[in-house]
Amino acid sequence: MAPGTLYVEDVAEGDEAPVRSHVLTRTDLVAYAGASGDYNPMHHDEVIATASGQPSVFGHGMFSMGLLGSALTDYVGVGNVRRFQVRFAKQTWPSEKLETKIVVTGTRNEAGEHLVDLDVRLHNADGEEKVVGQATAVLASRS
Amino acid sequence: MSDQAQAQSGDLEQRLSGFAGQSSGESSEGPDEVNQAMIRHWVEAMGDTNPVYVDDAAAKDAGFPGVIAPPTMLQAWIMRGLRASQDVEAARAAGTAQGDGPTDRLMSMLDEAGFTSVVATNCDQHYVRPLVLGDRVSMTSVIESVSAEKSTGLGVGHFISNRLDFTDQHGESVATMRFRILKFRPRTEAASGAESTGAPEATARPKRPRPSLTQDNRFFFEGTKEGNLLIQRCSGCSTLRHPPRPACPTCRSFEWDTVKSSGRGTIYSYVVNHHPKVPAFDYPLVVALIELEEGTRLVANVSGIASDAVVIGTPVQARFETFDDELTLPVFHPVDGSDIGDTRTVTESKGAH
Repeated sequence: MAPGTLYVEDVAEGDEAPVRSHVLTRTDLVAYAGASGDYNPMHHDEVIATASGQPSVFGHGMFSMGLLGSALTDYVGVGNVRRFQVRFAKQTWPSEKLETKIVVTGTRNEAGEHLVDLDVRLHNADGEEKVVGQATAVLASRS
Repeated sequence: MSDQAQAQSGDLEQRLSGFAGQSSGESSEGPDEVNQAMIRHWVEAMGDTNPVYVDDAAAKDAGFPGVIAPPTMLQAWIMRGLRASQDVEAARAAGTAQGDGPTDRLMSMLDEAGFTSVVATNCDQHYVRPLVLGDRVSMTSVIESVSAEKSTGLGVGHFISNRLDFTDQHGESVATMRFRILKFRPRTEAASGAESTGAPEATARPKRPRPSLTQDNRFFFEGTKEGNLLIQRCSGCSTLRHPPRPACPTCRSFEWDTVKSSGRGTIYSYVVNHHPKVPAFDYPLVVALIELEEGTRLVANVSGIASDAVVIGTPVQARFETFDDELTLPVFHPVDGSDIGDTRTVTESKGAH
């Protein structure tokens, strides 16, 4: 296991990870389409998106999951995330400020490993939840 | 629904359910090995500046053999690329995608049935180990399930769950991913006079209000999620009661269990709600007191009948409508053969008891 930035002794239920926030732009969506290989035009072609009745292009669900993923790895350490599960609750829109909220829901021992369970959410400035989910990561111990 | 339409819909459901368990077969290898250029583009798009993704020394300091790929970049390693995606889309549009894998054939079948829009609803990733530069990722996929037709806030559609298994160049598992999508028919009745565009206008639709869950009523809403209409039953004297409450009004026992209702009943009373319009609901909204054949009554919406053609005493049957991931409620429809075209339009509503 890679050395974690977080030790199990330092974690308690209710702890919150540092917030990561990002204002979504159309450029992000174009960059992400190319980088991820997801070329669904609803995410980058304003003409097609509005012709389909959408107010504009909208963010990839996996972009939202990736933002949360970065906040998660910043907190528990890269390489320590075991499971990351989300529900895409709402679409994200250009110029929305997206913020992460990650809260520790508990720690446990399983097969000799220290695991932390987290509630993970991404919301906009109005508090509308975009992505809701859970994650489990393995933590190092000082002992 | 006409008998013919019902038969066709039943046939589609049967063909769709046949996809469950179908595998993509041979594993497909991603076009490129895990490489720095793709990782750099991806982390720049995401704004993730963690050095372990771009700096060999930093990655080694962190205990890795070298630069690693971000976990949520997983799927990027097996994407088929822009041209191939466009070719598949074109073939699907032309109806010639039959030779492709089960997922493409399933998507084509749903497109033809009018379920043309798609939205991701869930993603669940398990990571076995971080991917490092030089890894060669392959993937097999299995269609785990195709749901029956569901009503959602976006429109009517089918949920499709896929499981993707990712392996490395040694055939060892590196990650698995479950991905659930909704393939839906966009709503055409746009709300409040907005011009119909055939678009999923309801994407921004607010959710219905949540029920306030208590230890007494929780069973009811958990039951509806499973497609069961449950009635509270006193363990002491077997009297059924609804709405749920802690004690039996007959024998005062606090002990209770539940029985499953047949969902059959009649409209005991109703109102048609026109104003005020709450955005989560469609209007005119028929709110009825349904008398179940088991004897208890419950308040629910009535659908499948014009609001000005609702008649007290109409036999109805519960169906379950899923409004969002948290909320499934019974909605009552007139049973086949009942005279829903009845011209004795009831213009006044009888007050509920």
